[in-house]
Amino acid sequence: MSKDLEIAVVVSGDVTIINLDGDLTAVTGQAVENAYTDAVGSGSQKILFQFHENIYVNSGGIAFLIGIAADSRDNGRKVRFSGVSEHFQKIFDMVGLTRYVEIFPTTEAALEGF
Amino acid sequence: MDIEKTIKLHIPSTHGSEKTAMDRVAEVARHMGFPKGRVEDLKTAVAEACINAMEHSHQYDGDTNILVTLTQGESRLEVCVRDKGKGTEAGWKPSSDDRKGREGNARGWGLYLIEELMDEVKFEVTGDGGGLVKMVMHLEKSPD
Repeated sequence: MSKDLEIAVVVSGDVTIINLDGDLTAVTGQAVENAYTDAVGSGSQKILFQFHENIYVNSGGIAFLIGIAADSRDNGRKVRFSGVSEHFQKIFDMVGLTRYVEIFPTTEAALEGF
Repeated sequence: MDIEKTIKLHIPSTHGSEKTAMDRVAEVARHMGFPKGRVEDLKTAVAEACINAMEHSHQYDGDTNILVTLTQGESRLEVCVRDKGKGTEAGWKPSSDDRKGREGNARGWGLYLIEELMDEVKFEVTGDGGGLVKMVMHLEKSPD
């Protein structure tokens, strides 16, 4: 059965880190978009989405991520992903997300030079 | 000789129910010897086919089930996802635009992923107006 998505937001310097754990779907994606919108509303121009290793992302969730990536591109913001599994890196590449979002293996690597 | 074994799953059209099919298909695929990367591909493709049936044919009516059939051959695994076509008079069939995937279009991306991740995919309309997605993955084509 579907799990909820746990979202935890941490601010580290000028980067807002949004931790995601659970199921990222059409149902839970709005909460992710809201977290992104809140970060932007607080003035953040650098946003890191940190994926838990066992996160489940389906096409409904992907649609939200694409929306966030498009918004960040259109408004000159930087968005990075970390902790994405090999499989979902492939999926994100297939749907074109990696054209707009850089993916890093770890949070430390993502924060370096952000 | 290619001895086939079939498993049928009746899954309610509720958010998240696709994970039941994902878990079962993964279990079968691992048992057959598919490598990890291909099992993940299969899980995503099956999940997207289930979501498409539950959302677009059944409008997430929890009282209406989709039928997922897993047929194991010696070197192939076939997964069929069948819906009852509720809400679509002539059954369901994706348009070419649906399949290509569009920015923000979840259905488009779902169908695109199914076609990219599986070795064979067929979309059919059943005699009673329902939709059927037939997907096959071959063991010998696994790259890793």
